[in-house]
Amino acid sequence: MGFARWAAIYGPTYATGLAWTAATALAAAGGAIAWGCVLLLIRLSAGRWGALGVDGYVQLFRNTPVLLPIYLIYFAFPMIGLPWPAVVCGALALILQNGAYISEILRGSVNAIDRVQFDAARSLGLAPWNTFRKIVLPQVLVYSIPALGNQTVLLLKDTSLLSAISITELTMQAKLLTEQTGAAYEAFIVVALLYLLLVSGTEVVFRASHRAVRWR
Amino acid sequence: MPAGSLQLLAQGAIVSLLLAASAIVGGTLLAIVLAVMAFSRLAAVRAGYRVYVYVVRGTPLLVLALLLFYALPALDLRTGPYIAGTLVLIIYTAALFAEVFRGGVLAIPRPQWESARSLGLPPLAMFRKVVAPLVTRYTLPPYVNVCVMTVKASSVLSIISVWELTLAAREIIERTFAVFTVLGLAAAFYFVMCFGIDRLGRRLERHLALRGFAGERA
Repeated sequence: MGFARWAAIYGPTYATGLAWTAATALAAAGGAIAWGCVLLLIRLSAGRWGALGVDGYVQLFRNTPVLLPIYLIYFAFPMIGLPWPAVVCGALALILQNGAYISEILRGSVNAIDRVQFDAARSLGLAPWNTFRKIVLPQVLVYSIPALGNQTVLLLKDTSLLSAISITELTMQAKLLTEQTGAAYEAFIVVALLYLLLVSGTEVVFRASHRAVRWR
Repeated sequence: MPAGSLQLLAQGAIVSLLLAASAIVGGTLLAIVLAVMAFSRLAAVRAGYRVYVYVVRGTPLLVLALLLFYALPALDLRTGPYIAGTLVLIIYTAALFAEVFRGGVLAIPRPQWESARSLGLPPLAMFRKVVAPLVTRYTLPPYVNVCVMTVKASSVLSIISVWELTLAAREIIERTFAVFTVLGLAAAFYFVMCFGIDRLGRRLERHLALRGFAGERA
């Protein structure tokens, strides 16, 4: 079968999958970075118990596979009266898990900020919240761009697990195509190439943004 | 939760651990070959290494698993999910381990190479007495990290019907709807395995520490 014919038949299927994967990954990555910032704020501001709580949260998510929160939210939310769409449940699970990793990445970058800046902020009379928002967070995010890029790539690949809760993203489309056509591996090889493309694209975006905002 | 569920989950945890253990052993062996390729004199061999790492790290584990799961029977290899699953975990962890080892070799300080060469050590002795001991110590923390990742990654194999902890949990949930208890217990099993590996790694790190060498790390 020629490529044109092939693309005409299967193109839309892959396009649907690609759209779901990209949209879910984008939303989850944004949510995970925001959630990581919140966890960092709690760790820095809520005293010893806050730090201990965040530590426990991070350890829990670091030592369990992401499929568990995916299943937990997907199966449990309807039972407690929250019949959210599967894709929202899946994205939420990815946000909870990756937010834990991201808060650790950001914590590492806080240590790269010169202590003098905290003294300077205090001597200017900046309130703690403003110090965090205007001094700490912008620098931490810029320092963390390469590590955040790595984490985003991991998140992007983990969206494939959402096929387990019947979301029609790339991996699910490949599975359906394989079962419909009986062709053993063609669909998965195409999907693997599409993932490679998405992963490489993500890496390029993060590298470019790192170059663009790197000061000094 | 009906009686017997806890035993099922414990059995699943043992299967997960066995899957991870065989993937770690097989992956380490394959990674050593790959790391040697990374330092080959032939550009084509080095390119082969880079392509392997790029492809395996750039595709989701689930896609690799499904690819093997469907493709192996089509190639007339009736292997079943366990072999396909172990194989894909080995392929996946080997890429991660190889990158760890490559970093460890690059971290060896230049004077170590020079003194080994000036002593006239033959290649095998150089590997055994200089490269291996240093790389082991440099790479132990990231190596242990990958081991923990392998335990977690084995859960993905539940989707290609490898019966292990996650699939055991899913089956019990579908029968009993005891979502919180079952997933909580499964999480506890995973936590104990991963956290245990992490702690073991740290003890080994202290055990292997060379006195007075830490500062020389390049």
